[in-house]
Amino acid sequence: MNAVNPEVIWIGAICTLAIYSILYRENPFFRLFEHIFVGLATGYWVQLIIVQIIVPQWGKPLFVEGKWYWTFAMLIGCMFYFIYSKRYVWIARWAMGLFIGFSAGLGIVAFVAEYIPQIVASFRPIVEWSNGDFHFDSLLVFITLIVVMSYFFFSIEHKNRALSYSAKTGRWLLMIAFGAIFGNTVMARVSLFIDRVQFLLFDWLKLQS
Amino acid sequence: MVEKKRVFYIRRAIFLLIAAAVAIPLLTRIEFPMIVGWPAQNLYDFVDKVPTDKIVVVSTSWSAGSQGECAPQTAALIRHLAKSGKRFAIWSFSDIQGPELAQAIAEPVTKEYNREYGVDWVNWGYKTGASAMIRGWAKDIWGTVKEDMEGTPVEELPFMEDVHSHEDIGLIVDISAGALYGVNTVNYYIQFLKGLYNVPVGYACTGVMAPEAFPYLDSGQIVGMMRGLAGAAEYETLVGFSGDATRRMTAQSFAHVLIIALIIIGNAGYFLSKRRRRVEEAQTPSSGAPSPPEEQRE
Repeated sequence: MNAVNPEVIWIGAICTLAIYSILYRENPFFRLFEHIFVGLATGYWVQLIIVQIIVPQWGKPLFVEGKWYWTFAMLIGCMFYFIYSKRYVWIARWAMGLFIGFSAGLGIVAFVAEYIPQIVASFRPIVEWSNGDFHFDSLLVFITLIVVMSYFFFSIEHKNRALSYSAKTGRWLLMIAFGAIFGNTVMARVSLFIDRVQFLLFDWLKLQS
Repeated sequence: MVEKKRVFYIRRAIFLLIAAAVAIPLLTRIEFPMIVGWPAQNLYDFVDKVPTDKIVVVSTSWSAGSQGECAPQTAALIRHLAKSGKRFAIWSFSDIQGPELAQAIAEPVTKEYNREYGVDWVNWGYKTGASAMIRGWAKDIWGTVKEDMEGTPVEELPFMEDVHSHEDIGLIVDISAGALYGVNTVNYYIQFLKGLYNVPVGYACTGVMAPEAFPYLDSGQIVGMMRGLAGAAEYETLVGFSGDATRRMTAQSFAHVLIIALIIIGNAGYFLSKRRRRVEEAQTPSSGAPSPPEEQRE
């Protein structure tokens, strides 16, 4: 995973330190490496798109295997560029229309396949009368659903006491949920930082025994 | 000016403290015991139950920017697959770098367990086309994949002899760090593989993405989940291996304790200064001039 070549490790370490130097203050060293990073990332992506998509997945079937119908892919792709012409912009709209229609069709299938099981899962019994089992999870989901929805209910003013309490509870529950998301975000960011620190300490400085 | 300087130095001190909280546990090699959560346990159990005549698809929807979390997840999963003798295929439809990075992880691990490339595992590389391609792939894997990452045609890979459609897939695990065209990568599998063909889907995601994935666990649309680095460490524990994730979790825990302490100190300082200001205002006789807004006072 990490580069074995010592020169590459040195370059990686210098780049990492240069980017982290922003934590002290804005400086030309950071700026230089920021631009190098953006340039490199763009170049890398262009190279990958050519090597892994255009050549094997379009060029090879068309030119090597003689599948002539792949020319349509290029033609449709080129149609998008007519967006720059005021006179022929309708050509770009045709291409866009084709893709939007295609996406809408797939979207309907996707919606049914993804959300129907979600809706079904939201309506689980709180008490199973057949065996008397009580499901606290289901009760919590039900209460949260109602109070959070009441928080977003703006058709009438929240002067009614029941609605006001419900909306306030909904806001608190939302805050708890946002807190959990924030906690996970912190964990994710710290994980990325640990990865860099581990690289600097062990791969670069060789502090590992 | 003095206040600005004070804030400047306090911030830098916090950055240094975080760096120390991460570096010291890494250097001292302290390890805390991991408590395995049910999402990781469920994923592990499901992988174990995949029949031998079916393959596991490892979908690597991540790139170098998120390898801090996704690389240990990929490593833990591949180790489990190699150790238990499950056949697996690596690929990605959302990130070009994913299969390349996963290849670097898989090569040493599979070698350790004597798993042969092309027989026990393959790397299909990156395939473009998003939802349209995924639908086609579910019905005709040979026609969609065509060749592996090195350009070897699928007909020449013994692995592919009995792998033709979704019926030959026992589990898809999406290791994801983001979305494609605004849709989380796992949703493509949930919609077109789980939804249409009932192919089981597992999930390993970054910590940021974990909370929104829980409804899919509850509804049974995903069989189990690795949540960020913690999930990877839990999975390593289940596999019986102490790798990068386990080691990093100690540093993670130290950093979290420090962050919690800083949040408490920061809030306590805020409320104390607010109280002090209120006392000062009550003691000072009013000059009649309107008080400045709170942000300005700070």
